[in-house]
Amino acid sequence: MSVLSWCHWLQNTPWATGIRQSDLWFPIIEGSHILALSLSVGLILMFDLRLLRLVLPAEPASKIMRQVMPWALPGFGIMFVTGGLLFFSQAEKAYSSGFFRVKMLLLVLLGVNALVYQWKFYPSMAEWESSETVPRGVQVIAVVSLAFWMVVIACGRLMAYEL
Amino acid sequence: MSLQHLWQMSYDSHTIDILRNSKYAIPVIQSFHLFGITLLLGSMVILNLRLLGIGFLQLPMAALSRQIWPWAIGGLLLAIASGILVFVPDPARYAANYAFRTKMVALCVAVTFQFLIYRKVIRSGAAESASRRNIAVACGSLLLWFLVGWAGRAIAFLG
Repeated sequence: MSVLSWCHWLQNTPWATGIRQSDLWFPIIEGSHILALSLSVGLILMFDLRLLRLVLPAEPASKIMRQVMPWALPGFGIMFVTGGLLFFSQAEKAYSSGFFRVKMLLLVLLGVNALVYQWKFYPSMAEWESSETVPRGVQVIAVVSLAFWMVVIACGRLMAYEL
Repeated sequence: MSLQHLWQMSYDSHTIDILRNSKYAIPVIQSFHLFGITLLLGSMVILNLRLLGIGFLQLPMAALSRQIWPWAIGGLLLAIASGILVFVPDPARYAANYAFRTKMVALCVAVTFQFLIYRKVIRSGAAESASRRNIAVACGSLLLWFLVGWAGRAIAFLG
């Protein structure tokens, strides 16, 4: 069975059809997906800006990270669940959209970007988090995160415009 | 000159034709709109969780408000500028839309609240602890800004 025919089957399951045709649930799910940007991407952007010393430079970066993560992670949880439901309800069109594919690819790359940070720079945060010179690799990771999240938001908007 | 004339002039303008006729101009501008909203609402989430006494407690309110405020204003300005560009190609449609009207009223109330009341509260020494007044102000700010965002999303649902 091809991915496309699987998507076709998925969006025609009773509950996917139910979401798509609901005047109540579709707006609630889509609205939550957009408003939860503030909790997920909004908070990660602030941490990226801190890594670049553009916000709260006087506070240690690990302190900001400890404060941001308990809110950002549930935020990403909401994004994942609502995004998944939106995909189910229009799986065939979404899978066929170039913007959706770019969005998924960038989300994977953002995940890798975050993992590289966790492995390579998180353990040594104490050494540089309060200094004025942030390792070049950390700056690259923060800029990549900021740029990719902007493009992810744009891809989400563009794919919805075409659906 | 009535608002209707203004909308018609805007609709007839050739410069604005470019926005209207390009397939991707509007959704690309809307992407910047969303990015501004993300920055603004993200900032509001941080400041208000702190004011509610349930998040970001290790960071002093004075530093938070001083450092986060400019990013909130930047996000707001980006959202307003891009919002105007989405509005001008089709002003009559938006002006007639109840979700859009709700959004504009909520936006005016939110901005007034933010500059007249909220800013004073987060910059006063009394912002450090979660007093009843601080909780009320934080809930008011969150409700107003998320209402603006939600009404904005609802514009499309009301056609």
